[in-house]
Amino acid sequence: MTEQSNYDYLFKIVLIGDSGVGKSNLLSRFTRNEFNNDSKSTIGVEFATRSINVDGKTVKAQIWDTAGQERYRAITAAYYRGAVGALLVYDIAKQATYASVTRWLKELRDHADSNIVITLVGNKSDLKHLRSVPTEEAKNFSTENGLSFIETSAMDASNVEAAFQNILTDIYRIVSNRALESSSEPAIQPSGGQTITVSPSVDAATGKSGCC
Amino acid sequence: MSSHPSRKGSKSASPPSLTNRITGGANTLSRERSVRTNRKFDKFNDCLLKPDINMSDLRSFAWSGIPSELRPIVWPILLGYLPLNSTTRNQTLIRKRAEYAELVRLAFARGREGLEFAVWHQIEIDVPRTRPGVQLWMEAATQRSLERILYVWAIRHPASGYVQGINDLVTPFYQTFLSAYIVSDPEIFDPGLLSPEVLNAIEADTFWCLSRLLDGIQDNYINAQPGIHRSVKKMKDLVKKINAPLVKHLDEEGVEFMQFAFRWMNCLLMRELSVKNIIRMWDTYMVCRKDAFSEFHLYVCSAFLLTWKDELQAMDFQGIIMFLQSLPTANWTNHEIELLLSGAFVLHSTWHNAPGHLGGS
Repeated sequence: MTEQSNYDYLFKIVLIGDSGVGKSNLLSRFTRNEFNNDSKSTIGVEFATRSINVDGKTVKAQIWDTAGQERYRAITAAYYRGAVGALLVYDIAKQATYASVTRWLKELRDHADSNIVITLVGNKSDLKHLRSVPTEEAKNFSTENGLSFIETSAMDASNVEAAFQNILTDIYRIVSNRALESSSEPAIQPSGGQTITVSPSVDAATGKSGCC
Repeated sequence: MSSHPSRKGSKSASPPSLTNRITGGANTLSRERSVRTNRKFDKFNDCLLKPDINMSDLRSFAWSGIPSELRPIVWPILLGYLPLNSTTRNQTLIRKRAEYAELVRLAFARGREGLEFAVWHQIEIDVPRTRPGVQLWMEAATQRSLERILYVWAIRHPASGYVQGINDLVTPFYQTFLSAYIVSDPEIFDPGLLSPEVLNAIEADTFWCLSRLLDGIQDNYINAQPGIHRSVKKMKDLVKKINAPLVKHLDEEGVEFMQFAFRWMNCLLMRELSVKNIIRMWDTYMVCRKDAFSEFHLYVCSAFLLTWKDELQAMDFQGIIMFLQSLPTANWTNHEIELLLSGAFVLHSTWHNAPGHLGGS
């Protein structure tokens, strides 16, 4: 059951965004290659993990999937602490979920580490005929706000792997650059085996654009 | 009035009158069954047939589980939705059902535009994902019922409104009240086949009983959810007193009680156990009255966690969190639930009034 230290880096990632945009399905697609059309709502937070390879290193992602409803904000915000990456998800077919993105960014500014790496994720890209958020608009917004951007479909699996791979690679680059710069202090310090503290010296918001 | 819906033969095509299942009909419920079941059933039946039901008798019978045929009568009485006195019971039922129908009418009188958008929006998202995969909950008639119940409750309780997870709490009531009118398994039944008045009766009874239950745990759903925070803290304190090494291990691994017990409190273990398990559990909760769903529940959650103490001791952070997220309870029957309840009862008797007990520093 236990999986001890068979990784080089451990990064904590949070999945945030409005209710019903597909956060849990992005997570289950990435960690178990599963998709469920009517999955139950997430209550509080749910956890999953997967390791990937970046530059020959094993990077383990510890991902916290959060409930989207406003009422859960107080509990879910506690999970931003120690997170080095956030996937901020909206539904490309629901304008209102995209309009909420600025509110979610504020949540991160208020509760997360200022260096957190953020990717804006337009999910449900399979719903082409229902699209209400143009790709260009979201891409421009991302550039202006120093976010990475990608469109995904948890349903047909497109770009899900890339979304996670990109953000983990970005974090890895920041962390390993920093490790080179400051020789002694480790960039990540799993305490109690699990909590990660990361304080990248470079500005995390480098605006790297993902594929889309 | 004496034509109680039969539980054995096929159901008559025309629905029973809305009230005879509660009053006057109970004497027709007795029928051939095993001697042991019969004895329990008769005890209940005698108790229910009295013009003034003795609440302490009813509670002592209900503690160890209510026969499923009688649950639709016993739950509303235990919850205080229906009076103990049989002569007023019919009128109460008629009045409360009419009252609910009126609440629905008012809430939806101005069409979709008249709805409180944020509340309705969240309900619309959650209704199709309430017990996904179970036929009853995929039927349009059930989903429309659920929407009305949740919406009317939410606008009557603006301090909390609709909170995700409340939808789960509707399901045991709805299935129980539906079972009073049909012979087949409620989980594979389409309530669209019932007459509008029967459907309204099921919906109204569900609504009022849900309201009673939620009255006792409103703090769980208001801003910042203080009720849940309180319960989780108490639970941790309690488990620490009972099994300090387990709490030490969880602490050392960086596992916080909030990470798993939040959902246990928010959905009353409905995400961890089957609806059948929960229905049996609620028989006992309802005996304890209002504070059962907050106070007794945290003892149940503590006993539940301790069920897995040996497994948990051998796991690391990730193992613990993943394990607690999908506990191996799929095959749990009444037997396991009753062990859990009696475990919780023992904890409650030992610690509830103990000096320097929970809630202290």
